[in-house]
Amino acid sequence: MLVAGIDIGSITTEALLFDKAKGVVGYTILQTGADSKKAAELALNTVLATPGKNISDLNYIISTGCGRKRASFAKQSVTEITCIAKGVNYLFPNARTIIDIGGQDTKVIRIDGSGRVLEFEMNDKCAAGTGRFIEVMAKALNVDLDKVGDISLGYKKDLTISSICTVFAESEVISLVSEGEELEDILYGIHKAIADRTMGLITRTGGIENEVIMAGGVAKNSGVVKALEKAIGAPLKIHVEPQIVGALGAAIIALEKSV
Amino acid sequence: MEPQTNGLATAEKYYNQYGSRAKDLKESGKKVIGYLSALGPVEILTAAGVIPLRLKGNVSEAITKGDAYMETVVCPFVRNVFDAAVKGRYDFLDGMVLPHQCDSIDRTNDVWSDVLKLPYWHFLNVPHVTDDPSIEFMKEILRVFIGTLEKFTGTTITDEAIAQAVKAHNENRRLMRELYALRTANPPLISGTEMMKVLVAAMSLPVQESSALIESVTKEVKERPSSKDMRKRIMIIGDQIDDVAVIEAIEGAGAWLVMDDLSIGSKMYWQDVDATQDPVQGIAERYLRKLKIPTTYVADGNNYEENLEARFGHMKKYIDEFKVDGVILFIYKYCDPYGFEVPAVKSFIESTGASVLYLEDEYSTSALPRAKTRIEAFLEMIA
Repeated sequence: MLVAGIDIGSITTEALLFDKAKGVVGYTILQTGADSKKAAELALNTVLATPGKNISDLNYIISTGCGRKRASFAKQSVTEITCIAKGVNYLFPNARTIIDIGGQDTKVIRIDGSGRVLEFEMNDKCAAGTGRFIEVMAKALNVDLDKVGDISLGYKKDLTISSICTVFAESEVISLVSEGEELEDILYGIHKAIADRTMGLITRTGGIENEVIMAGGVAKNSGVVKALEKAIGAPLKIHVEPQIVGALGAAIIALEKSV
Repeated sequence: MEPQTNGLATAEKYYNQYGSRAKDLKESGKKVIGYLSALGPVEILTAAGVIPLRLKGNVSEAITKGDAYMETVVCPFVRNVFDAAVKGRYDFLDGMVLPHQCDSIDRTNDVWSDVLKLPYWHFLNVPHVTDDPSIEFMKEILRVFIGTLEKFTGTTITDEAIAQAVKAHNENRRLMRELYALRTANPPLISGTEMMKVLVAAMSLPVQESSALIESVTKEVKERPSSKDMRKRIMIIGDQIDDVAVIEAIEGAGAWLVMDDLSIGSKMYWQDVDATQDPVQGIAERYLRKLKIPTTYVADGNNYEENLEARFGHMKKYIDEFKVDGVILFIYKYCDPYGFEVPAVKSFIESTGASVLYLEDEYSTSALPRAKTRIEAFLEMIA
């Protein structure tokens, strides 16, 4: 039995194939761009191409992410909160707290041993502290997005970025550059600001319960991971491909639905 | 009075053309006075022979003119209503009465009256503590209010007229509670979306017409074939949510909205005015003590738990009576009075076993897509 999960996010779209017997068959990650419907179709076709399958070979498809209603080929849409919880539970059965930082959302989810959501909190409509926030800062500092995390780990000075708003934080960062502060110190300050903002959400869900899993694209940023681990005082477990957790959860729900 | 054969369709009409009936009555020579918030003493307006019209904004309309007079720190609901008024929506009114519910009303009252320049204006200085001296104060400010209306209309408002109005509004409340009771059924006999339209229509009509409309809706929904569509049952808590957009987001995600603690909903209809010898006494007590809104309640329990029970205990009853599975706390941004209470109300409701989703949002549909994700996730969580 073959099913698919598709996660149409604000920046990237992921499609994942899951076989009842073999587990994850394959996945793909693409840029969502301006047409989320097209991105969803392209992601699905791409992931089906490698094993040489067709959409008709799929028993069930579930879409998730902020563009979930745009995937007309999906049988059902489920929110990313529920899918991330399912995906994390599959990968880490002992997970109880999930921190997911994506392109425009930060979510903190508390789950039980079966992957059921007990409580969740999301950032308000401001995208401060999300993937987009890091993108803006990387651009302002002229650094490759992929290198932002590792560079920041070389910090020597503990700088604080106090602005919460992305636009104001950007001007604060530019002021730090003008004052001659080192790049790695500024970058770490940015990551610390993200960790602080995330801590606010964690507190609102009732605090940390181990194990703590981090997912979403920002989990690929080693600087944010380090700053968050320091802030919560616990290690974070991260899957090798943290961006696919939502699509994986969608696929697992699809499997449950098809049996 | 218009013959009402189809209550739901009539409610829908008045919902879509808000205030149209009051406008017609104005053209036929009646006086219409708009009021803001659940603290507007409608009994007195009715007794004065004027048509009370609860003021509302339009969540689908961006604030374009109002912000020239009010900073964005003012409550988004107040700003939206004011913006609508500046754009001429309430130009047909003879006047407005703004009760002192919160700072956003109190501190902008001068701006409203100066910009709108309506023939009649009154700021009702409702006190914020509910002890005996405050009741005396409340009675006095109601008498002052009566005096200004007498001067404006040129007629005396007798105790007898007030007592009659009290009776009519109590009857209106009883009829609305009767309609609410049909929502205790599973599935409810009337959807949350339909109910919202009835609530909005009801607050735009003279009391007798409002009562006739409610009766007509009750009859209609009782008689129509019942649905077998079983869904999770949601209650919403907030101040003035007066548009179906939020309700459609909840019901569109696969739940029924079966109960509310809103200032145009159960808050308006659950508490009657006692028929006291001095009719103003009963009105003062109802608005100051029985109406449980965050700015006019002072806890008088012996400890924090008792205070919470006194303040929110009615919500527990609603959860039980209306078989509520989940509660959505929908609070407007920059709303201090409701904002202060969020942690307390959330933990109080959670202690009953019901889950709570707290949403802080604008009085606008622009941010609704993000709220929808949370509402859907919440329903998946309690599924």
